[in-house]
Order: sequence, then structure tokens, then C-alpha cells
Amino acid sequence: MTGDNKKWLNQNTYHHGEFWDILKLVKEKEKKGLKISLCIPTLNEEKTIGKEVLILRSELMERYPLIDEFAIIDSGSKDKTLEVASSYGADTYLASDILSEEGDKRGKGENLWKAIHQLKGDIICYVDADISNIHPRFVYGLVAPLIQRAEVQYVKAFYDRPLNYSNGLRSSGGGRVTEILIRPLFSLFYPELTNIIQPLSGEYAARREVLEIIPFPIGYGVETSHLLDLYLKFGLDAFAQTDLDRRVHRNQTTNALGKMSFGILQTFINRLHSQGKIDRIPDMETFYRRFQVEDGSYNQLTQEVVEEERPAMIEVTGYQNRGLCS
Amino acid sequence: MLETSAKEFNLGSLLKDLPTQIDKLKEFRKLVLTDAVLLGEIPSPTFNEEDRIRLTVDRFRENGLVDPEIDEHGNASAILNGTEGRSSILVMAHADSVFDANTQHVLNVGPDTITGPGISDNAIGLATVVALPKLLEMLGIKFKDDLIFLANTKSLGRGNLNGARYFLDTMKRPIRAGVCVEGASQGRLSYSGLGTLRGEIRLEIPGNYDWNRFGSSGAVGQLTRVINQLLEIPLPKEPKTKMILGGLSCGTTYNKTPKRGTLRFEITSEEDQVIDDLRQKVDDLCEQCSLENGTKVYLEVVATRPNCGIPFTHPLVKATRSIMSELGVTPEVNPSTGDLNVLIEAGHPGVTLGLTTAENIGEENESLHLEPLPAGIAQLITLLQAIDMGLCEL
Repeated sequence: MTGDNKKWLNQNTYHHGEFWDILKLVKEKEKKGLKISLCIPTLNEEKTIGKEVLILRSELMERYPLIDEFAIIDSGSKDKTLEVASSYGADTYLASDILSEEGDKRGKGENLWKAIHQLKGDIICYVDADISNIHPRFVYGLVAPLIQRAEVQYVKAFYDRPLNYSNGLRSSGGGRVTEILIRPLFSLFYPELTNIIQPLSGEYAARREVLEIIPFPIGYGVETSHLLDLYLKFGLDAFAQTDLDRRVHRNQTTNALGKMSFGILQTFINRLHSQGKIDRIPDMETFYRRFQVEDGSYNQLTQEVVEEERPAMIEVTGYQNRGLCS
Repeated sequence: MLETSAKEFNLGSLLKDLPTQIDKLKEFRKLVLTDAVLLGEIPSPTFNEEDRIRLTVDRFRENGLVDPEIDEHGNASAILNGTEGRSSILVMAHADSVFDANTQHVLNVGPDTITGPGISDNAIGLATVVALPKLLEMLGIKFKDDLIFLANTKSLGRGNLNGARYFLDTMKRPIRAGVCVEGASQGRLSYSGLGTLRGEIRLEIPGNYDWNRFGSSGAVGQLTRVINQLLEIPLPKEPKTKMILGGLSCGTTYNKTPKRGTLRFEITSEEDQVIDDLRQKVDDLCEQCSLENGTKVYLEVVATRPNCGIPFTHPLVKATRSIMSELGVTPEVNPSTGDLNVLIEAGHPGVTLGLTTAENIGEENESLHLEPLPAGIAQLITLLQAIDMGLCEL
């Protein structure tokens, strides 16, 4: 590890326990005149959304007013996600109703992008809806570095202690896609970004002024594109990361992860090209192909995965008219 | 006579406020549910309640209580000062749970239920005690007496109520009355503690056991013999007496003869002497089995409670019944084998109340019904008000 990397890790890697005094954070936030919005993007999350809304609203809006605004942005759930969320006091929105003149696309990235238009905060914190062990630390751990340090623009979550452990060294505990796709790619093309311990974690917080100037892939590539685009614009010093301890969530099948990797690769290769890391790219297929064995015969299955991108929000007329641009 | 009428009048005015209080508590219920989830997701097996207790005492502090502290037995307590503070009312809930730390303590929150291990016994009871100071503030209710809030440890099983016992032994403040809060079930009314003995019969086959001896067998066979003889012990119908064989552990596989086993059982009776006699019979049975079969069989008593209680006609019980009646809840009178025993043993009048209804209690899919909860909390607050107004004294 180079000296610079070590310095960055020391200065920009936190543990949520450092921010246990939420009241202190609230005071700092108020002193700096910051407003914080929390967005949970959802699609059929009735099993976990109730607890997320209950805990985060009660603790971080009512007991300690750290969050000024809290919205569920839904992609058209067919289950009771919105009913359950509303019953615990959440403001719920359909992504299709936000900036409807820009059309409706399906994907988590679409909801995150539209949140920039819908929410008013100077800082927007995104938390996935499928966390079974939700706790206020999932929010205060991410917004705290942004409240305390003006130079930090984007804070990413990670979930396992990566360094010394009582019984020796332990791996970073990233997911399968992180370890066999993203980390090798970053090591090849963006070695500094390997300092981000869990680049694909679905929980992060960022300042409006950086979120509104980057495009958003609507699908699997949104987390990767954020890192690549902001790294190009601001360098590694704009990032921080916080250890949020354990995260319990549903496990994805290997097939689902293959499809996810296919989407991420599209985004990554496009960025390599647009950032001048490779000269040209051939026309890329949008069909993800895999095999299934049925009654002793091999069948190829294909699924279309198109990583469409939304433009930087600051370029959207509806957003410009809303008066939220930094 | 005049005094009785005045008490009835005062209780009547409290009862009239119940519907309004329930409506307001519906608005504030998120406060209790949040604490129930945060506390309930921290494993808290008996003897290892530290983490849940730490959050409890943090909450006491955050809610502005006086003297939040953790005592030598790990109990968390704090005080809400009354306007006069001449006496105190104790509100207590046990902080331990039957689930061990390896159980996945994840609670699922639905629109009408919360489901997961220990939510009704007793995360919601503890959360209600923890949130009560805030609820009282929101409802604008002040007490003349000090309210002492207690999250007691070592209540269940081998804990033998030792947390609450230590707290009450060492607490010097005058206590007017106490209320034990349990999650389930609404309508529960305990005003007496049932005499109880909980024990384990341990069986060990020694290394030099003669497997050729007549009737020789492994621990499964030997324990079966013990159980058969245990079930033959006659139990009196009056005073009411019951024996439950609650658990059996023996062996680890299909094809190995086990050498040791344990039977867990509980004897409850309305008469302490009956329990003593039965204990002697179990001891004799163990000795007989040991000598006749060449094994080591012995009884370990893990918990005992004497019979205790206040009368059905005690004003505290009467007031509780009136409140339940006003809420349209039929009281389910059952003697307690829990914290109430030590409260009454220590000389304080007390009752145990349940807050709401639940299913699958004691299982990992324990499910708590949310709709009755505001009425359950209103029942508790109104009873505390009645105690504070002196309406529950002889």
C-alpha cells in the first residue's frame, strides 16, 4: 500500500461509532444551515420497508431532527410496500409521477435520479429498502462526514471490518460481484479507487451539488458510475467511507449476480471509453446469455439488460425551473 | 363510606379519560414500537442482558430521567421525579429473553403486527417501560409520586428472579405499589405469585457401569424409567397442584448409546408444603433410581418461589378490574410465576398486566398484534394514575 493510500484510508475511513452523539450532529448541521433528505428507493419491499420507515423516522426525524425530509420513491410495487410505508408515516412517491415529462424508466437508478428533483436537501442520503437489521447508524454514519468536513462530497458505506481482527487478517467482506468483477477492474484501470472498500454498497450520501452534475445509469451501473464520474471530477479526496458493521439482507442468486455484472460492465466499459482509458469500443450486445440444464439438455437463456442513462440533473429543464440547482 | 365514594368518583373521572388517552396513544405508538424493535433486536438471554440493558439506560438518560444507573446485578433503573415525591411507584419489566444469542434477532414490522423472537416476551413490555416517561410528557400527565422505572435482569429460568430480588432488597425508597409489565396478553391480571419449584433431574451413567446387569440400558431408557415413576407421583386436586415436564435432552445421534441426560420440570402449587413434599418425593425417586440401576441420578433445583399475593378484593386489584372493564377487556386471572412474586414477597402490593395480544409466544415467529396496544398502554397509565391518587390502598 502506498503512503498516499494509507493516508487517505486513515483520514477518510470512519466507523459509525465515531458519530454516536446524534444531538451533536444535529447542532452542527443546524449551525451550518444544512438540510438533509433521505431517500429509500423501493420495488416490492413490503417485508422490510415498515421497519426502515419506523426506525429512521422515529429516531432521526422525531427524536433527533437530523433528517429534514424522508421519502420513499417507488418503481410501481405490486405488493403492499406503499401501504406499509404510509402506515408508518412515510411520504411516498411513484417515480413515474416525478418529472413525468422526462418519461418513465424502470430501475433503481431512475428512482435515485428523480429523488434529486423531488427532495430539497443539500445532502441526500440513499438507503436500500431490503435491510433486515436497519438501525439509525445506516444514516447518521453516512451523513456525519458530510456535515463535519466541507471537502467531503460523497460517503459510501461498508459493512465488515477489513483490517486487523482478533484472529488475524480478514478479507473486506465485499459481495461476490465486488470481489470478482469490480475490484479486478478497479485494480486494472483505477487503482486508487480500490481504497473504496465496498464500491457497490447501496447506502451512500452525497451533496446535491455533486449529484446534480453526474449522469445516472438507471440500472445496475449506478453505484459504479458515481465512483468513476466523481473520481474523474474531484479525485479520491472527495470520498469518505463509513463502517456500518453488520448488514443483514437477502442473498442474491448467482444468476441474478451474473445479470448484474453484465449491466455494470456496460457502464464500466462506456466510462473507460469516455474517460479516454481505451481508444474505441465495438458495438456491445445488450443480451445477457446463460445456460440452463433441463432434462439433460442445455438451453441457452437470454435476457436483455440495457444500461440506459439519465443525463446530469442540472441539464434537465424541469429541475432548472424548480430552483434547487446549487 | 364517604372515603370509598370519593375514591370511586376519582377513579370514575380517570376512566372517562381513557378514550381520549387511547386516541392520543395511537398517534404516539411509533415511539414505543421503535424502542421495541431496537431493544428486541439485541439478544438478551438470561445472564447476558448487558447490551440490551445498556440501550435501556441510554434511553432512560435521553428521556430525561433522574439517576439512570446499572446496579451490580445488571438491572437498569431511573426515576421520574413526582411533584411531591413522598412515595414511589415501581414500574418494571424483565429485560431477559428465552432466546439465546445465536438466534437471529430480526423483527419484521408489518402494518398490523411485529413478528420475531421475544417481541411479546418481553421486548414490547420493556419498550413500554422505557418509553413511558416520554408518553406521559406527551400526554401532559404529571405524578405526585416518584415513578421508578426498572428493567430487571435474571428473571427467567435459572435467573430465578434474582435481578428484581436484588433491586428490591437494596432499594431504600418507600414504594406505594408496583406494576409488572408483560407484552402479552391484554386482560392478564395477576395479583398473586404461585409457589413454584423448577428443577433438573440429571442422569449420568458411570464409566464402570455393568452393561450385563439385569435391566441395564443407556440414558434414554433410564430417563424413561425416571419419567414413568415421576408421572406416578400423585398430585392433590386441592390445593391446586401441577407438574409440567418441560424439556428433555439426551443423546446426539442415531447409533450411539447416550451416557447422560437431563429432564427439566416445574411443580406449581397453591400450598408451599405440597411443593416441599413433592420435592422430597423427587429426591427419593432419584436416590432409588441411582441405587437400583447403578447410575447417578440427582435433582438440581434451579428456581423456587413461595406462594404470595394480595387479595382479590384489594383496591389495587379492584381498580385494575374497573379499568379493564371500561376498556371492554375480560380479566384473565392467573397467578404469576414471574417478577410479581418478588415484588409481593418484598411486601409491596402489585399486579402484572399484559399490553396486547400475541401468537406463537416463546417461538421464533412470535407475533405481536399492534391494534390493541394503545388500549393496553392506556390501561397501564390509568392504573399508575389511580395508584398515585391513593385509590389503590387498603
